[in-house]
Amino acid sequence: MSATTPSTTERLLNPWVRRVFGAAALASLVALVVVGLFVAPPDAVQGDAQRIMYVHVPAAWIAYVAFGVTSITSLLYLWPRTRSLVWDRIAGASAELGVVFTGLTLVLGSIWGRPVWGVWWAWDARLVTTAVLFFLYVGYLALRRVPAATDVRAKRSAIAALIAFVDVPIVHFSVTWWRTLHQQGTVFNEKLDAEIHGTMALALWLGVLAFTVLYVYLLDLRYRLEALDEDRETRELDAAIADRVRGAVGVTS
Amino acid sequence: MTPAKRRSVIALSLCAAAVIAIVVLGVALSGNVVYYRTVSEAVKSRPSQGDARFRLAGAVVPGSSTETRRGVDFEVTDGKKTVEVTHVGDLPTLFDDKVPVVCEGHWAADGSFDSDRIMIRHGNNYTPPKVKFGQ
Repeated sequence: MSATTPSTTERLLNPWVRRVFGAAALASLVALVVVGLFVAPPDAVQGDAQRIMYVHVPAAWIAYVAFGVTSITSLLYLWPRTRSLVWDRIAGASAELGVVFTGLTLVLGSIWGRPVWGVWWAWDARLVTTAVLFFLYVGYLALRRVPAATDVRAKRSAIAALIAFVDVPIVHFSVTWWRTLHQQGTVFNEKLDAEIHGTMALALWLGVLAFTVLYVYLLDLRYRLEALDEDRETRELDAAIADRVRGAVGVTS
Repeated sequence: MTPAKRRSVIALSLCAAAVIAIVVLGVALSGNVVYYRTVSEAVKSRPSQGDARFRLAGAVVPGSSTETRRGVDFEVTDGKKTVEVTHVGDLPTLFDDKVPVVCEGHWAADGSFDSDRIMIRHGNNYTPPKVKFGQ
């Protein structure tokens, strides 16, 4: 690999596509603010507090998606025929976003819970399993930072990612498996008997769309940063080896 | 240790850690997996419950709530059984007649329920307020 020309694996999307995603994310977020705050009516029971749903649900959705992507790319890394550091980088970048969006889900849920439930937090199955999900993937990210040879680190992160993913279906079905304070799903509802007003549903879907586009955009940015980081490390190592070979060990202060 | 041996040790310890995590999660959650008891269930288990804390869920019986100096007295029902609740503390904003509530507390000696925390259990339906034409 030449040190001056960037390799093709240094980015996921070509710059033109990335800009389109960036602009689309911005536009849909603006539309979400308008529809979510002004166009959609307040809820009959919860009033304006219910509007938090338009960001809380999409944040949880993206957390699922991000951890799903981490699992799939981890599998692709573990499968010998498809093994490539590209998958490992996507897995790491996506898990980082997943942790951010899980944290956002917890915080937004808490802000929603205080005016509606009357409490910031409840030790029910949905909330606890979501908090566990957050810490599982914080652990995964910590494991990625444990120094080791690249392939060793990538392999053990991939295995950890697959173990952590077990919690995702548990979080999702916790509200149907157990009795919780948290309400059941409205969109992915088993009996499909939940009722949501048309404009409210529109705001919710707009939120899901905006967060999904934002996720793709951020994933690409994070991936490029990771690739550049790795590239820099390789160059520094090459330079250090070259120094040693010349017998002039550079002492940096 | 040979690389193959080391790998199997790592794999085994990861599996063991996962099993331990699941067991710990299960034990930690077992007391809370059933977050609340319905009024009927609570009444049924009253003899064995003593004054241990649990959460009681039901709907506020319309017209039953009266404000007291330290909180509110009201009745909760699940349609079959009804229990008197003496609540001491704050009330959630959405507390009202017919609203589903979860009360945290314990049985009192006189058969009522002493609550010190009320949570609203709202549903998963979202609709704008309906305009009512004089009923």
